[in-house]
Amino acid sequence: MSGVSPLLESFDLASRSVRNRIVLGPHETNLGRGRSISERHVAYYRRRAEGGTGLIITEEASVHPSDWPLERAPLATECGPGWTEVSRVCHDAGAVVLAAIGHSGGQGTSHWSQRELWAPSPVPEVNTREIPKVMEAGDIEAVVAGFASAASLAVGSDCDGVEVNAGQYSLARQFLSGLTNTRDDEWGADRSRFLVEVLAAVRAAIGSDAVLALRLSCDELAPWAGITPEQAPDLAAALVSGPSRVDLLTVVRGSIYSAGATRPDGHTDPGFNLELTRSVRRAVVAATDGRVAICAQGSIVDVDQAAWAIDDDVADLVEMTRAQLADADLVAKLAVGTPERIRPCVLCNQQCAVRDNRNPIVSCTVDPATGHEADEPLLSALDVAANTSPSRSGTAVTVVGGGPAGLEAARVAAGLGRPVTVLERGDHLGGLLWTVAALPGRERFADLARWYERELLRLGVRAETSSDVDTSDAAALSANGPVVVAVGGTDGDPGVDLLDGAEFVPARSVLSGDQIPDGDVLVWDPIGGPIGVGVAELLAAAGRNVHLATLDFIVGNELARSGDLGDANGRLARSGVTMHRRSVLRSVAPTTATLEDRFTARRYELDVVAVVDAGHRLPAASASGDLGVAADGRWVGDAVAPRTVHEAVLEGRRVAGTFSG
Amino acid sequence: MADPLIWSPLQLGPLTVRNRIVFSAHLTNYAENGLPTEQHAAYYAARAAGGAGLIITEEHSTHPTDWPYEKLIHGFHPEVIPGYRRITEAVHRHRVPILAQINHNGGQASSMYSRLPVWAPSPVADPLFREVPKAVTTSEIAEIVASYGLVAEHCAEGGFDGVELQCSHSSIVRGFLSPATNRRHDDYGGSLANRARILLEIVAEVRRVIGPDLALGVRLCGDELIEGGTTIDEAVEVARMVEATGSVDYINTSIGVATASLFMIEASMHIPPGYSMFIPSAIREAVDLPVVGVGRFKDPLQVERALTEGQCDLVGVVRGQIADPEFVAKARAGHTDDTRLCLSCNQECVGRMGLNRWLGCIENPAAGRESLGVGQARPVSVGRRVLVVGAGPAGLQTAIAAARNGHHVTVLERSEHAGGQVRLAATVPNRAEFGDLVRNQLQECGRLGVEIECGVDVDLAEVRRRDPDTVVVATGSVPARPWWAPDDAEWIVDVRDVLEGSVQPNGSVLVLDELGFHHATSVAELLADRGCQVEVVTPGMVVGQDLGITLDLENWWIRAEAKGIEQTTELVPMSAGDHSVTFQHHPTGTEQERRVDWVVLAVPSTPADALFGELQAAGYAVHRVGDAVAPRRAHAAVIDGERVGAGIMAASAVLVGR
Repeated sequence: MSGVSPLLESFDLASRSVRNRIVLGPHETNLGRGRSISERHVAYYRRRAEGGTGLIITEEASVHPSDWPLERAPLATECGPGWTEVSRVCHDAGAVVLAAIGHSGGQGTSHWSQRELWAPSPVPEVNTREIPKVMEAGDIEAVVAGFASAASLAVGSDCDGVEVNAGQYSLARQFLSGLTNTRDDEWGADRSRFLVEVLAAVRAAIGSDAVLALRLSCDELAPWAGITPEQAPDLAAALVSGPSRVDLLTVVRGSIYSAGATRPDGHTDPGFNLELTRSVRRAVVAATDGRVAICAQGSIVDVDQAAWAIDDDVADLVEMTRAQLADADLVAKLAVGTPERIRPCVLCNQQCAVRDNRNPIVSCTVDPATGHEADEPLLSALDVAANTSPSRSGTAVTVVGGGPAGLEAARVAAGLGRPVTVLERGDHLGGLLWTVAALPGRERFADLARWYERELLRLGVRAETSSDVDTSDAAALSANGPVVVAVGGTDGDPGVDLLDGAEFVPARSVLSGDQIPDGDVLVWDPIGGPIGVGVAELLAAAGRNVHLATLDFIVGNELARSGDLGDANGRLARSGVTMHRRSVLRSVAPTTATLEDRFTARRYELDVVAVVDAGHRLPAASASGDLGVAADGRWVGDAVAPRTVHEAVLEGRRVAGTFSG
Repeated sequence: MADPLIWSPLQLGPLTVRNRIVFSAHLTNYAENGLPTEQHAAYYAARAAGGAGLIITEEHSTHPTDWPYEKLIHGFHPEVIPGYRRITEAVHRHRVPILAQINHNGGQASSMYSRLPVWAPSPVADPLFREVPKAVTTSEIAEIVASYGLVAEHCAEGGFDGVELQCSHSSIVRGFLSPATNRRHDDYGGSLANRARILLEIVAEVRRVIGPDLALGVRLCGDELIEGGTTIDEAVEVARMVEATGSVDYINTSIGVATASLFMIEASMHIPPGYSMFIPSAIREAVDLPVVGVGRFKDPLQVERALTEGQCDLVGVVRGQIADPEFVAKARAGHTDDTRLCLSCNQECVGRMGLNRWLGCIENPAAGRESLGVGQARPVSVGRRVLVVGAGPAGLQTAIAAARNGHHVTVLERSEHAGGQVRLAATVPNRAEFGDLVRNQLQECGRLGVEIECGVDVDLAEVRRRDPDTVVVATGSVPARPWWAPDDAEWIVDVRDVLEGSVQPNGSVLVLDELGFHHATSVAELLADRGCQVEVVTPGMVVGQDLGITLDLENWWIRAEAKGIEQTTELVPMSAGDHSVTFQHHPTGTEQERRVDWVVLAVPSTPADALFGELQAAGYAVHRVGDAVAPRRAHAAVIDGERVGAGIMAASAVLVGR
């Protein structure tokens, strides 16, 4: 790469100067205490500001008590002190801060407020099916006033401005859209009226100096009545060129019928929104003489793509939210000319998508420090340490196993200055990362494996592949210094009758490219996560007739949180996969598999040449042998219990922390 | 006649309980940051004030590796002790003993909150959490045993009268006991004696810590209802082992595994009352210790019968006392009719639990809000004359809340019966108990002197004639016609038309489920029972999806299959012809047609808000509650009614609207 990245050029956003083009967009975190912005939020945003983020837009705060979409969704009236503190720490670190404000209307829930939902028209959201109350004129006035007072409080709490949400989950979009606004009054005759009133009230509240930003859904993916990409440029231009003088427009997509579309997982290509953004920008620039800045959003996780978007006049700013959850130092690494050291977002949505009843804390599969900056600061400190290249000293560390748990342990131990050796049985580092990367939409897990290879090389970690450690080596190894056991897992025991000659193949084996006999196959998925669905898709794409069986009422039951549930079912249906729900796999014979209905106990046979097991794995047995004893409790990842990459990285980092000091 | 057993005292080791009704352990989600709250104290105190014989709190976790749901009490932190004292003092004020349940959920958990590996006897993933646990080492087993001792110590310091060990439906002890989850080959696996070892070690440790003056109970699962799991014979054996320790004062029982067969633990109205009494019966035959039985006990007569038949010595009544904290006191006073009977609908108790929300109740808006004073009378100096239009659940609750504070309330109902849609919902097979919602409300209205007039069609003139100080519109909702259904297609009807009997579908019937609750499934069963060929179609991924929340989905499937009801998902209606409907299968964009004799719609209805608008225009101070605001489920109607009714101020305190 030659020259300075266009991403690092500063940008004048109304009265503020943003030091670079990289934005951390608003997103749910569940970091709040009650409905306030908490000390956990402060630590979270501070970490990104210190990592170099140009513009931070804080988690959306509800502007009115009629909106309580998540238990810890911030409520603007309770956010003053939190906004002040976030602004202070982020300003100190050089970032500009906007507060996102909004109202989710009919897309919220009544379960916390114990009150009816408010919306323009009685259109239920598809997942909750809650029928909202049709807002009365007084309700509309109250919400508009709520926007104004929230904005006033945010700016009075030292935020540089506010962003009004008319995106995926928003009352403002519900008013704009023919899908959700069927009113026959003035707010229906002019569907923009509500948002225009909101923007005017907000501008009046914050004054001319503060930044007014707008997040706008420019494609509801429902062309029969929704906002379409064809309409969006004119709509956007009209909204931002009005007297409320919007300063920044972020182009997003999605509606009540496409909840996962705004920040989809890796099944959707990064930068999917860029052409839409370009066309909106063209109209907005023409209408405002370029006064209004445009921010691009939509799975932008690579700095090259982001830089291209700036260079090619797609946008003025680029939102790289998940990329900065994966690496809080993204900008810092770019600034010192080492973009290859940015830890890649794998677009899995497994830890960062937290719009979920269980109130998970925002985190990241590849950086478990994310979201835990306040309660486990050591994780962040260890990551920072691993970003340096210290001189080698101290006792040597041996890591047995080169999967994600072992690689993370090795990386961080080396960052702490220890001489580190990784012993890997296979012929390459990365373990199951490569296997996972063979699944559709999960290719980026391979980027993580490559990143570890580069980092370990940089840090001088000695890696020995094809190195099978047996118990006789254990004593010798532990005499040299601490041993970390990261030997991973092994194929599971599904508890199914296997007749002689039955082909019962672990998903791992299919994903590693092992051949299975020609013919129809059954994928047995007792987990309902990405693996069963993905393997079925792969096999179907290879031209096979595929059956997929699950115990659940829904195929891919656990994909709801990552936003892929509906899409996954659509992909399977379109690729002709036959789905067997509420089913138990009973036995596998050479040319048949027997399923049993969970509720009727009816058994039936499928003619299949093989069954692929997408079930749970077991810890590798060697972890419990002498090696484990020698490791003195330093077992990590799947060797403890086979789980996801997140737990592997977390435990790898934690164990390395025992080597500090 | 002999004195009823139900009111006879019983000795549980060092503890005397004054009657046989236990408010047994259940999750509440009232904890905050791992600590018990003011709400816990108020909640248990209300049931103590209502006369419960014994209260057993929800579980207190023994160890940081155990954090399956967000609002778990972390009993292993000493910071819990002040909260414990607040609970025990509040309960003891009513001279009712209270035990703390202590537990480690073992593999029935995930690492989502703890960020630690889940601990279990063997690396067998739980069917709900689907996370492979770490098989604990013997030193970790010792750590678990010690952790029970630590929490028991906290409980003793916190003023509890004893502890109960949950070894039944979600527990690492259950995990060890059950052959389905214990695949160990060491001293803690294999034979039943080995699988029970951790339990006996915990019993010894806890007794050592609490000494002889506090009670110790053990709750066992009598049938896990899972493949290869514990069944009654082994449960009886374990009960004998427990008794043989000489350290335990009573045995509590349960059925099912919380993460596999929960629908049989917290059974809805579709499961017969007393369904799990084979468990205490069998255990009671084998041991001399007092035995607690549970399982949808709804009234004191049923309790007395179980006691006199020797099925158990004590009866756990949880939902009955959630719905009516004075369940025991009313029974004791002979006012059983006044009891706000539990419906076993599971909508706001079980249903909210599963969604990480506080425990509530569909018909008792105070449940879960005791510490906020919801539902308490706040008498006004001068009552207003309140007119409520509509005697569905919203209107009746408005009347109750207003009358409780001293207002003079009249309810006018257009039809010949009070109850609104609840009355209809209770007409379908197995849903009769839902009708108790309105029975209970009418009983309470009667006690409070609310006047109810049926057969009165209210318009603006009628309101003027009655000249009330305050009007509350609770006029409900009316069926809506979807855009694709022609008005003249008489073969397309609403669920309500069928339940009211205004149409009698026969032949082939397609039920369209856009509500995802009991509407479609109920009418489908009704029509299948009448001999129709029924298919339920939904645009969603599951027919009756929210039956999952109330634990009705499993049994719906069993019944639907038995009745030959077809279920088809992901179909969106696009148009109707002559006795045909065209659907789009939205995942593929393909079309499907159905030719049927009848279509029954379970689709969103429309608020009946015309009177509200007229009254507003006429300048009345008018409120709106229930479906007239937005068509929702019954709990929302009750909550609306309670809030609005309780919020009506004294006549002297406000200007009379007009």
